[in-house]
Amino acid sequence: MRRYETVFILRPSQSEDEINAIIENTKNIILNDHGSIIDLNKWGMKKLAYTIKKEIQGQYVFCDFAGTPASVAEFERKFRIDDAVLKYLTIKTADAISEEEIGKAIAEADAKQAAQVRETSEDEEHTVVEENETIEETTDED
Amino acid sequence: MAQKPQRKLFSRKKVCRFCADKEAVIDYKDVKTLRNFVSERGKIIPRRIVGTCATHQRQLCEAIKLARHIALLPYSGAAQG
Repeated sequence: MRRYETVFILRPSQSEDEINAIIENTKNIILNDHGSIIDLNKWGMKKLAYTIKKEIQGQYVFCDFAGTPASVAEFERKFRIDDAVLKYLTIKTADAISEEEIGKAIAEADAKQAAQVRETSEDEEHTVVEENETIEETTDED
Repeated sequence: MAQKPQRKLFSRKKVCRFCADKEAVIDYKDVKTLRNFVSERGKIIPRRIVGTCATHQRQLCEAIKLARHIALLPYSGAAQG
């Protein structure tokens, strides 16, 4: 087993159900190959740094998992076929991962998520401030 | 000799931010940090200006390129410019 991280961007017009269906498909491909999901996270709607297929926004989905190269090839092939997927990125974070390490990583991911939920209100304030800053920057340049 | 006062004015000891803070990790998902290492135009700022060490600059470079690939950072110009 190798450890991978995948980020993919879906069209903003996709409904919640459609997004879940795509996630479910990807999950199944990984699990069918005896892999395991360590962390799955929907980042939600984000502004893209540049337009992709004429879209200026996209739904980001992040997935951290242990799997085989074959399963990666398979879901990437599916992504290429699926019109709803704007772009994807898969990187290998570890060459080998044992069952124990997978368990540990899952526990870590869960703990992180729990901590994030507690800090969401703070984070929201931060992001608002940041957005204002970026807007100012762009106007300066123009 | 004429260079001496100039040096005093412009040379500030630059320290690699990632060597100074061992806990800081370079991650392509962490756009906030990466923003500090690209210019307004979206170009990667050279090592001689930001002062990162060779190892970390290499990792940064890689992370910025990954972030660009998934549209977290622009290839050129400001975001949505």
